[in-house]
Amino acid sequence: MANSMDVWGFRNPVGLATLVKRELVRTIKVINQVIWPPIITTILYVLVFGLGLGSQVRAIQGVPYAAFLIPGLIMLQVIDQTYGESSSSLFQGRFMYSIQELLVAPLSAAEIVTGFIVASIVRALAIAMLILGVGFVMVRTVPENWTLYFGMTVLVATLFAAIGMIFGLLAEKFDHIAVFTTFVITPLVFVGGVFTSAKFLPPLVRQVSLFNPMFYMIDAFRYSFTGHSDVPLALSLSIVCVLTAVSLVVVLRMIGAGYKLRV
Amino acid sequence: MNGSHNPQSALRVTDLVKRYGDFAAVDGVSLDVASGDFFGFLGPNGAGKTTTINAIVGLATLTSGTIEIFGHDIVRDWRAARRLVGLAPQEYNFDRYLSIRDVLIYQAGYYGLRGAAVRRRADDLLARFELDSKAGDTFVKLSGGMKRRLSLARALIHEPQLLILDEPTAGVDVELRIELWALLRELNARGTTIILTTHYLEEAESLCRNIAIVEGGKIVAMEPTAKLLGRRGSTLHVTLEAPIAALVPASLAARGAIYDASTRTLAFPNIAPQAIAATLADIQAEGLAVADVDFARSNLQDVFLDLVGH
Repeated sequence: MANSMDVWGFRNPVGLATLVKRELVRTIKVINQVIWPPIITTILYVLVFGLGLGSQVRAIQGVPYAAFLIPGLIMLQVIDQTYGESSSSLFQGRFMYSIQELLVAPLSAAEIVTGFIVASIVRALAIAMLILGVGFVMVRTVPENWTLYFGMTVLVATLFAAIGMIFGLLAEKFDHIAVFTTFVITPLVFVGGVFTSAKFLPPLVRQVSLFNPMFYMIDAFRYSFTGHSDVPLALSLSIVCVLTAVSLVVVLRMIGAGYKLRV
Repeated sequence: MNGSHNPQSALRVTDLVKRYGDFAAVDGVSLDVASGDFFGFLGPNGAGKTTTINAIVGLATLTSGTIEIFGHDIVRDWRAARRLVGLAPQEYNFDRYLSIRDVLIYQAGYYGLRGAAVRRRADDLLARFELDSKAGDTFVKLSGGMKRRLSLARALIHEPQLLILDEPTAGVDVELRIELWALLRELNARGTTIILTTHYLEEAESLCRNIAIVEGGKIVAMEPTAKLLGRRGSTLHVTLEAPIAALVPASLAARGAIYDASTRTLAFPNIAPQAIAATLADIQAEGLAVADVDFARSNLQDVFLDLVGH
């Protein structure tokens, strides 16, 4: 039997806007978990690593170490918070049954996914701009290429919002959501070039890092600040675009099929 | 009620099957609920009531069968179908991040409605359900009765033509239950079709014009309430002044009399009300003096227990 909702339709713009607003209201209600921690963490990273240890490090990609660090820290927090928020919001909706408010309404899978993702993008842009503000105040760095800066933030937020939704559907308990953060996101981001250029890594580690998707995200994003990248920008953008497209298709199919949503 | 096509159907379920592996939670259910009806959907726990409701509102996928709401197929024409239905579910599923006023306004938003008219309707519903003093609180601060009322208010925010209530009075006190009954009667009188599941059989008997009873995923009865009650006749109990010395007289035995010597009572089960006078006359004609008469009309609980066997 066919599923009881179509996947692709966009015919309820008010419903979609309401879902975005609801997600943002939720963010504001948990602002001490979502917005302030990445800002505080970033300030500490910049103080300790950027301005403290970094003062002993020569310029990387033509900029002081502290300025090199800022784009990596933005990506780190955008990835972490976007995944964390979309996964926990969806899982909580399942756990508390409040997701049923969406499931009985005339909202398609595309509208539900878009609602979560647009809210995630807004959150990510807010976090990116706040950290950028910290970067400007502390190390006087701003992007050279604003289009790439916003484009990469939106793309990476979309990718990790979709991955967050996938894990929000797969998880049977909150613990399962943290597993992906602890064992996948955090290690890959940390070895993906947040703190150093791949050029300074041992040859073997550098080869391995080419299989780390976070490396391409951080490298392309940092290009918007420094105008330099370790691998061609087009390659990084292509990889991120493909990953985003695949994640979107997977989450759309899961929501469309009512996976763990419609009994 | 069931059977032939009814162009005024609010809900038409045809051969609905919902399987979980080898287990059929709903096994070929067909329902036809007329527009404007107050319809009871009854059955013991695990009979398939909530699964059927979940399939109707889109919370469960169908294994096979079709469901139409006011002629809109819930799979092919799902948006139109869903706009016409309001659900007050058995479990509370409110958004904990929103005030109860916003619960109503956001729910309307999901249905594509917004603006001053929606805010006014939310305020009207909060006032009507006596929740206006709690408008700024989240649902966790409400009492059990208030949560039930909020559930009903939310189901009504988008002005559905078909209202589905899954155990709407579970866990509420008698006073509130009577209040909710009055509200539901008023809604129904204004033209809203209501489908009600409940374990309080007197509630269904009092409110519903038609009733379906489901057991083991199958419909075991679907009739107007009055006809369903008539399935099991009423019983006349006649207590005699003195015991019957020998056998029950033939004229009374022919009327199905059962004699209980320990209480000196003659019972006439399944007796039609119009046969009572003639029966009492026969008793007097047999020379038996009557001490007391009791006429016990059958209720839905008796019929329900006959049908589902427990």
